[in-house]
Amino acid sequence: MGTIIETNNLRAYYITKAYGVERTVKAVDDITLRIQEGEVYGIAGESGCGKSTLLRILLGAYQPPLTVVGGEVIYHLDGEEMNAADMSEEQQRDLKWRTISYIPQGSMHVLNPVRRIRDTFHDFISAHRDVTKKESFQLTAEYLRDLGLPEKVMASYPHQLSGGMRQRVTIALATILWPKLIFADEPTTALDVVVQRGVIQMLKDVQQKEGSTLVLITHDIGVHANLADRIGILYAGKLVEESDTKTILENPRHPYTRFLIESLPSLDSREERLAIPGRPPALDRPPSGCRFHERCPLAKDVCKTIEPELIEIEPKHFTACHVVEEELNVAV
Amino acid sequence: MGETKAHPMNLLRTYILPRILQWALVIFVGISATFLIPRLSPINPVDEMIGRMTAFASIDPHAVVSMRESATALFGLEGTLLEQYGRFWARLFTGDLGVSFGNFPRPVSDIIAAGLPWTIGLLSVAILISWVSGVFLGALAGYFHDRRWAQFLERFVVVVYPIPYLIIAFVLIFVFAWWLKWFPLVGGSRGQPGLTWDYISTLLYFGFLPALSLVIGSTAFRFIMAKSLTTTEIASDYVQYAELAAVPKRKIILFYVARNTMLPQVTDLALSLGALFEGALITEVLFAYPGLGFVLYNAIYNADYNIIMGITLLSIAGIATASLIIDLLYPIFDPRVRLR
Repeated sequence: MGTIIETNNLRAYYITKAYGVERTVKAVDDITLRIQEGEVYGIAGESGCGKSTLLRILLGAYQPPLTVVGGEVIYHLDGEEMNAADMSEEQQRDLKWRTISYIPQGSMHVLNPVRRIRDTFHDFISAHRDVTKKESFQLTAEYLRDLGLPEKVMASYPHQLSGGMRQRVTIALATILWPKLIFADEPTTALDVVVQRGVIQMLKDVQQKEGSTLVLITHDIGVHANLADRIGILYAGKLVEESDTKTILENPRHPYTRFLIESLPSLDSREERLAIPGRPPALDRPPSGCRFHERCPLAKDVCKTIEPELIEIEPKHFTACHVVEEELNVAV
Repeated sequence: MGETKAHPMNLLRTYILPRILQWALVIFVGISATFLIPRLSPINPVDEMIGRMTAFASIDPHAVVSMRESATALFGLEGTLLEQYGRFWARLFTGDLGVSFGNFPRPVSDIIAAGLPWTIGLLSVAILISWVSGVFLGALAGYFHDRRWAQFLERFVVVVYPIPYLIIAFVLIFVFAWWLKWFPLVGGSRGQPGLTWDYISTLLYFGFLPALSLVIGSTAFRFIMAKSLTTTEIASDYVQYAELAAVPKRKIILFYVARNTMLPQVTDLALSLGALFEGALITEVLFAYPGLGFVLYNAIYNADYNIIMGITLLSIAGIATASLIIDLLYPIFDPRVRLR
């Protein structure tokens, strides 16, 4: 299985200018990713770390002030290698939904309130396939049945559905054309845990049925544990650790990842969980050196000045931390 | 699933019936006020009429007395206020609005019926054209807000909108009727009324300038409204999502943007149509168009109370009925209202 989408040293900044004051927010800074065909790749990190921005760039759905200032995004689709920057608007439009699809954050409002669900499905299907209304209704009905959604949602308006049902309908809407690459942005946030469980199961079903690639963004490590094959941890616009899910959960190396994992509640122990000290840095003036050093209990002098590089500390386990690197060198 | 199906009988009881009652109440109160207000005035119309008639000629006193009696009966001013009120309703239900003072024996209902078709024809066409063009041009200009033509259109509308109606009408009359002589100065039609192209073409020919003068201002108003509604609409999640999914622009503008911005505008359309019965006073006077507005203008000029009252009653009923209809039809336009 090959790579389906890769980024090389991707940098994307929000560049705004108001009253003559220029402000640059480095939301995605030097990120290199290889996402494999058929895998579920989780991107985790706290609010404001650049998760959604990264997704928007990968999806090719961004406009100023968000600008790609360096690096590249390359799709490997239908046996072709395509650089996102070289693609025409026409090509981009062509890819959407048929090949690349998107499950948005907060699906509460992504369905047109004055249109029946089946008509919205028809709008989305007919934009990419030459179908009559009847054909797309039939396609929709079959697909909803496959996913275990009640048939009567077809004739409903969005406001008649519960939040969980709306989210499931949106997932169905995003995946009805069997895209190869699905991006999901916080698909379970704002749902209660019981409903979350159903939505996660549905995402799993959809992904496994056709072996699509799912790029899943959420701050909820529990959801990643359930779904993801590999996890990338994002901190302040940088990828700080990446490995398969089991390794990340059981043997996290980067101090930030360790905080993230340790803050999860556990059934076995009843002691109070530690919160990560401090707050995420503002990305318009990120800290020098390692961006986590201000909050890191292990920080040394070198962390304040030199940016750590992402290195492979064991097979397929990457981390960007001076302390881990030193320990490794001592061990060798 | 939070779906609840409203039972038809339930809908009738909780939605339709209260609205019909409300409608009846509004009309009742409005008409009662129309009855009461002129009677609070210190001027007695019978004295006024006799005063007018005896101002220049002396009349036999017996004749004056009998004239006073018959005029009092004719104007419905006999007996106590309550008796008058009862008779007023009884007459209303038979469609009797009294007689005109200005055109003495002619019944008011007759005069109104003569003016009404002109006004309805002129105003309904003008309102519909300005509504449709305002809503859709506004949606287009809002959707393509970064295009040159949209910015030009918006600037043009912003300049035109604050120009007082009178000035627009005068400029049109001056340029097209007086100077270029493309359109007639006065009147509503020419020739023998009938369903012939000859007659209908003169209707369009005479109606064009007054309609245009109305369309300009109200299109501008609706354009500005539609454009600002569109600006918030295109930032909504569902429009953004449909764009991301590369749904054709035509569909997005029609079913995602315009369909949603139309909701508040539907109410506005209904109220404008309800106000049809007041006539377009200034337009009809300026263009000497034989509609209700012109009738009203003459009635005010001649203190012709019965006609003023007749037109007022009609417009109360018109606006109340329009808001009733819009209340009943609104669930068709906005499915979210259906569940109440």
